[in-house]
Amino acid sequence: MSIFSHRSFWIAALALLLGVARAAEPPAQTLSRIDPPFPAPDFTLTGEDGNTYRLSDYRGKVVVLNFWATWCPPCREEMSSMERAHQKTRGENIVLLAVNVGETADQVFEFTGHYPVTFPLPIDADGAVLRRYPVVGLPTTFVIDPRGRVIYRAIGGREWDDERLLAELRKLVRR
Amino acid sequence: MRLAWKMNPSRFRVFVPVVVLSGALLAPAALCASVAVTTGTDAEAKLPYWEVAAPGVSIRLVQRLPAQTRGFFQARGFSVADTDYVAARCVFQTIFRNTAPAVSSDAIDYDLREWVVHAGGVQRGLMTREDWKKIWIARRAPMAAQLAFEWGLLPTRQHYNPGDFNWGMSVYGLPPGTRFDLDVVWRQRGERHEVRVKELRCAPDVSPEPTAQ
Repeated sequence: MSIFSHRSFWIAALALLLGVARAAEPPAQTLSRIDPPFPAPDFTLTGEDGNTYRLSDYRGKVVVLNFWATWCPPCREEMSSMERAHQKTRGENIVLLAVNVGETADQVFEFTGHYPVTFPLPIDADGAVLRRYPVVGLPTTFVIDPRGRVIYRAIGGREWDDERLLAELRKLVRR
Repeated sequence: MRLAWKMNPSRFRVFVPVVVLSGALLAPAALCASVAVTTGTDAEAKLPYWEVAAPGVSIRLVQRLPAQTRGFFQARGFSVADTDYVAARCVFQTIFRNTAPAVSSDAIDYDLREWVVHAGGVQRGLMTREDWKKIWIARRAPMAAQLAFEWGLLPTRQHYNPGDFNWGMSVYGLPPGTRFDLDVVWRQRGERHEVRVKELRCAPDVSPEPTAQ
């Protein structure tokens, strides 16, 4: 301490702490803006519940369109947070649609026994809908604005009930 | 420091804090600028992993037992012969993340066709989705199984913004138990980054023993 003043010591310690804190940050909850936005390709798919879901029926609402599969670990991981987001945004013109890729209604039904969700799970059995969107890995999620344009993309899972993400969705509703 | 000792006391009082502060601020940056390759046992899979960590980038390769690969693909509709074919070619679970903070604009790009496998004095590429598509067509694998295989593999090319990541299998075309080095390549801020991960090991073809009661 004879060479280093007390002040410089504490400054050094603070700087090191900041460095460590940054390294320990949780994963960023981000949405990547799509520039320019593009019209969301419409589709009609049957859900695990036997109902028919057509994307264009949700025009005027914000749609969180997720592509997933039961065998994909980050897809499973984010499913609970999507359900919480769905519950938090009820009546706010925000819709969640999680399109299962390449599986059967029975497989998806079995999955919901472990991960109960109340939003629609349309099934894209042959991947035809998936191929109309710029997806190269699962899960990938798009956010579609009330005008039917794809505005944001997220590759990999997210904590969908994170308040920052919900704030972005709510902003799109109000636009 | 010898330079500092020759200074007069008043200059010294200014010089030392400046040096210390600069060092303290630059040290984390210097640490971050380095690439670390670590290995250990993946807590979830209970199998060996190798991980590359660099500023804004994390790539983890976790061994997959051939028995796991067989089970996974048989459940997706592949024949026993087809699952044996994949299981014998060294499969790793791969998690590639852009770990930059949300406020950053540092995107990452990679192309698996730039990655190089070094084994037994021979260099080769990974077996990508495109390679496997040709194989499954030739082997007449069911379409649903092909679809699951395609999406189960790590994408051949990808662009990750901060917070983005993928999980996917990567296949090295080597027999079970083979040791190899891997050149991992990505691009960030327009710069090409390359790291050699040494002494990776394909999982041996053994079935997990039943747990003792």
